[in-house]
Amino acid sequence: MKFFFPDSQDLVDPSFDFLTEKRSETRIRQQHDEYPHEVFATPPYDGMLVSKGIVDGTGSDGGRYTIAQRQRLLRQGVRSFFRLEGRPIETMGDCGAFSYVKERRPPFSVQEVIDFYANCGFDYGLSVDHIILAFQPGLDETLSGLDVVPEEWRERQRITLELAEEFLRLHRDQRCRFVPVGIAQGWSPRSYAEAFGELQQMGYRYIALGGMVPLKTPEILSCLKAVDKVRRPETQIHLLGVTRIDHIPRFSRLGVVSFDSTSPLRQAFKDEKDNYYTLDRTYCAIRVPQVDGNPKLRRRIASGAVDQAEARRLEQACLGVLNGFDGGRCTADEALAAIQSYEGLHDERSNRAKAYREILSDQPWKRCPCEICRRIGIHVMLFRGAERNRRRGFHNLYVFHQRVQRESEGSPARGRRVGTV
Amino acid sequence: MTHKGRNGSARAKDATKEFRLPAIEVRQGPSRTLYSFAVDGKLLSRFTTVSRVRRADGAAIRGYQRPEVLSHIAEIRDYLEAGDPMIPNAVVVAFDRRVRFEPGAASGSEGRGYSRVGSLVIPLDPDLAEADRPGWIVDGQQRIAAIREAEIESFPICVVAFVTDDEQEQREQFILVNSTKPLPKGLIYELLPNTRAKLPSLLQGRRFPALLVDRLNHDAGSPLRGLIKTPTVGDGLIKDNSVLKMLENSLTDGVLYRFQAGDREGEADVEAMLGVLHAFWRAAAEVFRDAWGISPRRSRLMHGAGIVSVGFVMDAIADRYRRHGVPGEEQFRRDLEPLREACRWTDGYWDFGPGIQRKWNEIQNTPRDIQLLSNYLLVQYKARVWNRAAEENLLAH
Ligand SMILES: [Zn+2]
Repeated sequence: MKFFFPDSQDLVDPSFDFLTEKRSETRIRQQHDEYPHEVFATPPYDGMLVSKGIVDGTGSDGGRYTIAQRQRLLRQGVRSFFRLEGRPIETMGDCGAFSYVKERRPPFSVQEVIDFYANCGFDYGLSVDHIILAFQPGLDETLSGLDVVPEEWRERQRITLELAEEFLRLHRDQRCRFVPVGIAQGWSPRSYAEAFGELQQMGYRYIALGGMVPLKTPEILSCLKAVDKVRRPETQIHLLGVTRIDHIPRFSRLGVVSFDSTSPLRQAFKDEKDNYYTLDRTYCAIRVPQVDGNPKLRRRIASGAVDQAEARRLEQACLGVLNGFDGGRCTADEALAAIQSYEGLHDERSNRAKAYREILSDQPWKRCPCEICRRIGIHVMLFRGAERNRRRGFHNLYVFHQRVQRESEGSPARGRRVGTV
Repeated sequence: MTHKGRNGSARAKDATKEFRLPAIEVRQGPSRTLYSFAVDGKLLSRFTTVSRVRRADGAAIRGYQRPEVLSHIAEIRDYLEAGDPMIPNAVVVAFDRRVRFEPGAASGSEGRGYSRVGSLVIPLDPDLAEADRPGWIVDGQQRIAAIREAEIESFPICVVAFVTDDEQEQREQFILVNSTKPLPKGLIYELLPNTRAKLPSLLQGRRFPALLVDRLNHDAGSPLRGLIKTPTVGDGLIKDNSVLKMLENSLTDGVLYRFQAGDREGEADVEAMLGVLHAFWRAAAEVFRDAWGISPRRSRLMHGAGIVSVGFVMDAIADRYRRHGVPGEEQFRRDLEPLREACRWTDGYWDFGPGIQRKWNEIQNTPRDIQLLSNYLLVQYKARVWNRAAEENLLAH
């Protein structure tokens, strides 16, 4: 099973100094920064998924790319831009349907998307799709002739199929070199199977199932089983935005050869408690927010409710004691006390004492062989600023990839290029 | 950086009861008296405090200072630690009536009747609560915080003080000193190239592009000579900011990046960069001669969107020649020539693809329009030059 990592310009700055929290003055974003595949000796994913929506930026969100970065990606191509030369990493282009989910139609023409894939030199290109944000398996049970499916869902599925057909036609006419991947959208097992069947009919041999991000594992499995009834043996499946790796062998038997997910990275700094992965469990990261980086704390300081000097003192004490703890100069109790006094200021409603005590006694970063944990020690556990949080995300990718590999031992499609028409 | 004795810090160690600081008293008006003195910035917190703005019990406003801006403090701190720093502007302190001035023996004959020298006597009490210290910082809290936190032994700073018991007067002075108009950016950029000191990081990053703008605008033989509008080149046609953006794009992601050798500003190869820029813009001026050198109102080429987008074409051409080093003027000209008929700098309509047509002068200097125009030029360049050349190469071999 191949794991694709969706790009969102998540890089770390190797010049960042964890003690002084300063970086090189001449650092140039992206050029001097590092991707996960540059941080680890072995890349923690098999491919990268790059979405046009993220590269272009949409509407109010100016996008994560500067115009200069975007132009360089289009000029030099995806392998050069992401510094993938000589690395066993495949690339997949995508439209980023979530960025235009509220529009009536996708904002790009099929030709624009094909140009994007071809210019960048992707290995795989996903057809232009329109997400249906609903899952109603019950609708499969209704009597025929009594159509209760909202017209908007049907419309979105129709648009997705029409665009997929045009995509394949232009792909053939222009003799594009990337492998075309069709996207099936649906709202129930049967509707997914129908879309899948049509795509197969058009000629697609690699088909992605979209809109499954919010689905639970049994729901995904029910769709895969329905799809399996129409699937030709050679047609392979990509799951868009799905992370349920505990079911990899079952997914694999149902034709899934690849998937992508941002969650190992995102959970490092978005989740309430599952921030740091190990092979068999997760830990909560230790919150030590920057005094001027935490919006709530900043508001309270600005209003005079919290004394800034006091906040700074507690924050610095916390960092000092945690460094000391990692170096064996402070006890876990001292560390916990410092963390809690600061927590009382920046998040008086939470008390994570139990979770923190566990972290300090287990010290999971000391047992992790990954490059991040070995290099920055306890800083990987600190929920503080992008440089620490993203590195923890990178560590999670590393652990996640190991789990994927362990789960997919013996799975048939590993390492093989798939879907060639 | 120790000047003990001169600023009174030595005395502070013996007598904790009071500071006696040599000072000049200046009478500015019938009811206005100022005191000017120097003190080690590290000692200021012994007798001053910051009046933070807050609402007492949700009612009347108290104090006036905002919280410290930690990133600003860090910048000043870096400057102080970088070696041989100077802070010429005085911090402003309001004292209450516990502080008094004692004229010196020779004071009567000095000045012109508005100033005399003497000592300012500031009571010191280590047991005093912070809020009860005799001085309030009206201006300079970031500088003082930076001196306090910097890893230097001491740093004498000039202080201008007035005596009042009235918070209203302090607040008025606070507003007055903090409502000055910031310098126009263009003037700062024009002054930047001729500075060497460590500057706040934002300006530090702009210094090098500003130097290139300066050279492009003034060097003999530069195709942009006299064309870039700055405060001192008022009749220039192209906005300095447009050229700055074009340069910054190339410095981070384009051909100029190749000459940013190593990680020290001083090592960047300025002459090589200017060589590429001269060659390219001379070629661009030649190929688009009808649109060159006229006001941006009559030509979108001289407009922000035009300059920035054509800058990306420079980077694209340089990428195409990447394996053969850097292209010269002739190669730039040859690669630009096929784009001439795809451009509508001075009249007609741009054809940005199905359903997207723009009148020549409807292109604005916004990120959206710059992206639209740059994409278009890149697509055209790839189709008309890059891919065609690659195909011919294939056929030839
Ligand atoms: Zn690790």
